[in-house]
Amino acid sequence: MKGDRFNSVWSRIQPCLVLVSGCLALSGTVAAGPHVAGYERFHADALTVEGGAVLFSELGCASCHGGSAVVVPRQGPHLVDLASRVDREWVREFLKDPETGREGSTMPQMVHGLAAEEVDAVVTFLGSLGKGIKYRPERHANAERGSALYHEKGCIACHAPTPDFHPPHGDGKVVASPLAIPHPDLKKKTSLEALTLFLAAPSAYRPDGRMPHFPLDNQEALDIASHLMDFQASDPREAATVKQWPTGDPEKIAIGKEIVSRLNCASCHTIPGMKAAELVALSGDAATAMSHCLSEAPVAGLPHYRLDEGQRASLAVFLKGERPVADKDGKLTLAAMNCYACHDRDGIGGPTVETNPYFIGDEGIGDSGRLAPPLTGIGHKLRRDWMEDVFAGAEGSRVRPYVKTQMPVYPAHAAVLTEWLDRIDAKPDAIPLTERKEDLEAGRKLLGIHGGVNCITCHNWGEKKSLGIAALDMSSLDERLRPEWFRSYLINPAEYRAGTLMPPLWPGGQSMVPDVLGGDTDRQIAAIWSFIREGEGLPEGFPDRSSGIYELVPADRAVIQRTFLEGVGTKAILVGFPGGISLAYDGDKARPALIWRGGFFDAYQTWYSRHAPFEKPLSEEVYGFPESAAAGAFRGYRVDEAGNPTFLLRDGKRDLSESFSVADGRLIRVVRWTEGEAPAIVHPAGVAVEATAGEGILTSIYTWK
Amino acid sequence: MVVFAQDKPAYEVFELLTASSPNDSRSKEWKPGDGLALEVSGMEWIGPDRLAVSVRKGEVWFIDGALSKNREEIKYQLFASGLHEPLGLLRDGDDLLVAQRSEVTRLQDADKDGVADAYLTEADGWAVTGNYHAYTYGPKRDGKGNLWVTLNLGMGDLTDNSAGWHGWGGIIASDGKFSPQSLGMRSPSGLGANREGDMFFTDQQGTWVPATPVYHLRPGVFYGNQESLGSLKNPAAPFQLTSVPQANLPYPEALTTSPEFVPPAVWLPYNKMGRSGTDIQVIDQDGKFGPFDGQLLVGEFTNSAVNRVFLEKVEGEYQGACFPFLEKFPAAVVRLAFAPDGSLFVGMTNRGWSSLGNRSYGLSRVNFSGAAPFAIQEMRAKPDGFELLFTEAVDKDSLAKAFAMSSYTYEYSSAYGGDEIDTKTLEITKVLPSEDGLTVRLVVAGLRPGYVHELRTSGLKSDSGRALDFPNAYYTLNRLPK
Repeated sequence: MKGDRFNSVWSRIQPCLVLVSGCLALSGTVAAGPHVAGYERFHADALTVEGGAVLFSELGCASCHGGSAVVVPRQGPHLVDLASRVDREWVREFLKDPETGREGSTMPQMVHGLAAEEVDAVVTFLGSLGKGIKYRPERHANAERGSALYHEKGCIACHAPTPDFHPPHGDGKVVASPLAIPHPDLKKKTSLEALTLFLAAPSAYRPDGRMPHFPLDNQEALDIASHLMDFQASDPREAATVKQWPTGDPEKIAIGKEIVSRLNCASCHTIPGMKAAELVALSGDAATAMSHCLSEAPVAGLPHYRLDEGQRASLAVFLKGERPVADKDGKLTLAAMNCYACHDRDGIGGPTVETNPYFIGDEGIGDSGRLAPPLTGIGHKLRRDWMEDVFAGAEGSRVRPYVKTQMPVYPAHAAVLTEWLDRIDAKPDAIPLTERKEDLEAGRKLLGIHGGVNCITCHNWGEKKSLGIAALDMSSLDERLRPEWFRSYLINPAEYRAGTLMPPLWPGGQSMVPDVLGGDTDRQIAAIWSFIREGEGLPEGFPDRSSGIYELVPADRAVIQRTFLEGVGTKAILVGFPGGISLAYDGDKARPALIWRGGFFDAYQTWYSRHAPFEKPLSEEVYGFPESAAAGAFRGYRVDEAGNPTFLLRDGKRDLSESFSVADGRLIRVVRWTEGEAPAIVHPAGVAVEATAGEGILTSIYTWK
Repeated sequence: MVVFAQDKPAYEVFELLTASSPNDSRSKEWKPGDGLALEVSGMEWIGPDRLAVSVRKGEVWFIDGALSKNREEIKYQLFASGLHEPLGLLRDGDDLLVAQRSEVTRLQDADKDGVADAYLTEADGWAVTGNYHAYTYGPKRDGKGNLWVTLNLGMGDLTDNSAGWHGWGGIIASDGKFSPQSLGMRSPSGLGANREGDMFFTDQQGTWVPATPVYHLRPGVFYGNQESLGSLKNPAAPFQLTSVPQANLPYPEALTTSPEFVPPAVWLPYNKMGRSGTDIQVIDQDGKFGPFDGQLLVGEFTNSAVNRVFLEKVEGEYQGACFPFLEKFPAAVVRLAFAPDGSLFVGMTNRGWSSLGNRSYGLSRVNFSGAAPFAIQEMRAKPDGFELLFTEAVDKDSLAKAFAMSSYTYEYSSAYGGDEIDTKTLEITKVLPSEDGLTVRLVVAGLRPGYVHELRTSGLKSDSGRALDFPNAYYTLNRLPK
């Protein structure tokens, strides 16, 4: 049923992509009816109590009736300052039919059965709330940067990507998710300044975290707003503001207030000076509900939802069934708040096929470097205080700087979410770690690479970069993790994070380093934990680069080493001559590329790093050869008695060669060819050139100026 | 005639050189010139007693006296240096071919002084983006004389994989260019031909690869890893896929969604057979290495082991069974090579990852003692079950409850690794030993083509009272023989 709906949605999105270039963001769901992503994704295909429970919460049913098991209750947006933030006509149209104001809105229609002047009174009353925003963006707007932020920060986890922004992963095709929560027509609804203000602090207007609070600075908020409003100018003061609302007639305001009070809008919205009515107990009779709030045709005085058949049936199942009183495994709350858009928990959720390609980060760490961590057992994994810090967005609570998608923050709900996860994920029978003071040094060894399990091969340690990929800093794990979780994670990482690059270092609980602490797995893990907690200094094995022990020093003959070299490429052949003159030859383009004096090359990364980077010469005094057409294809090199190279080229008709050697602090380059004209050769900057030509030979002597 | 002796191990291991500490080459005190960090990445015999070994830091060493059991008599000589992460070595006439990151290089020693004096470009033509994971393996020669090279996929920045031929295998064409032949590889770190000259390669568990597979390497097929599809846009692509296989289906079903998509000849189930397959080496030693001639040995990185693979052809395609074989090596097994005397040289390096053998590198020699292990020598598919050939007659009294079987497959998916799915216990309805006790026919109900069939034994004994060397075997039943 829902599948069909998605298919039809899909066929309607495609033309939008292709034809309507001005269509700013792809509109995900265009079918009528309220859109609750966590319901559509997990519950639309089968009628379940859980699906009904998610709808019951997210359509605001619980606001009037109570009885939701979702941990953070659904609320409507605050209505303060409406007149300076939202267009008056848009408000009126939205009240009359929320769906036309915003596709998929979960706001029920409330004003059916009211006369036009009564609706006008409601609008007038809403316009009287608050004094208006006083925010004028002073920065320069940059919609292009805003687009990058919108697609990188995680907005597209819930909202549709822009058709012209190609996902960095996968095949680069822009595919709209039918789950995407549509934006309203923002130009019609609001202004650049109001949207900026909203994006900088969504929680000030939407208290329930469904549009979560991202820690954006004002510039980022302005840029994203500029992108969403398609504001291409630079000076935000040029943007239209919300059209001034007429001053409301007090009598009309009073009438509007009375209607708003009667309709019990305050059960969902915070309205100054107005209280929600008493909760209305559910009859428990689905048939009654079907003829009231859930009826297909609007009933005067009751909210009217434009539910589709599946949604209505799900709610009926919920009303008839045994309704959950608490969210025991997280499935309801995570679906309601759409945490599943980014996170997997117990094998449910995580980015969809459509959104996954937009998640970016440090790809050297694999998917863990770009995707949000799974939430399976998160309340058991994290210390309570840390979890609360993460929800509250406390300073320093972001530990994966490489994941570009940012975790939003939930300051108002941090305590309740933390308490809840701590409770439902508790594992009282987890095996504790027993630390021993005397094992601290063994911890240093185990973390390191001299007889340890090589943690620092991949993991950073405080300020110290790992020897390879830049995986999560281990030095402060104790501030975040519970030791008993750490123990079971190390024994089988894949159980906690499918697809992690983290290898099982104690596979099946068996230690790979039998000579440390008698090969006792528990004791080894406890020792690592102890060192993380209170060890001083570093794990063993961070190389002392400054000692230069991997520096190649050509003593009595030339030294040749191939590597990836910055400014040259992936086929760089480095030649260090005795006396401090060095050359980099580009085997791809068959030409000398760089010369330098001073140190030759530090081979540590090339020889011993798994994650071999592009290297640099060991000198500040580097001169480049001008780019030139290759005289032929690279065919390798020969090495003479002194280690000096002769590079070999072929251009199809003839063979060429280039020899390099040094004498008296000068670099000597000899080009030879078998037939035809002399090849055009270029010389590096920074040296004086003394050239002599002969039959099939051209000698250039480079003297440093 | 194979000799059996209860108290004699079938295979004896001698360590020629092993890192003295788990991270010898990276110790604080180690510096260039301080002895040899033998992180073996390629091996080739080039004389009756001379082994050439490439090491990951970029050198080729000659080991003379390699067959001596006196370490004092084993001499190491540096032949070539300055190479860029060589991962394979092959003799070609008087020269050696070595795969570097960006080319296959011919190493020549024109003046015969034992040190290479020419490093000639033998083949290139694939993109090298600088991605650390984009390794180059090979070359290995097939029965027709083709030299095969395989190219690893990059990790991390996957857009790199759209550049020329990442995740492809190919041969070196006469113009010295890489000629792409087939695609869909992830980390094809081991290549090797069987006795018939057909080429095989291993891949490693990771994205799109649920467990170590052994594939028949040949032109025109797709091995499943979709990260390699980018190069199909290259005008030099030798063929196009009729369709891209559909993901998130059980493997046998996914195979039907693209005609070019082929299954491995053998799956090596994750953990049960190891975690990361490496080199392939055929046993062709006239019994000098035991009764397994014609079978393939497969190196195993994480478990520091060597596995054994038996292949047969069913309807013209290879399939077969894998068995654990040798284990407890001091470091990750990366390369395998037979010496002229029929002993097996096992080259190891742990670099970048960890293994059960926690030394950072090593070179060991395995000798067959002359006493075959009690093992399942061959496991063949039959229309109604399997036929097991043992290295020694079975004790028929131990057969009654000796066998159990289940079958499973994997999901074809982009995930990193994957669980066994759709596991079913199969009923073994008949156990029929031959008169001489060397073969046992198993009649099995509910065989599932396309599935791995896991055979577990318990309590099985040989006539002389020995237990099996390893109790389990895994047959990949791509096709049911008629």
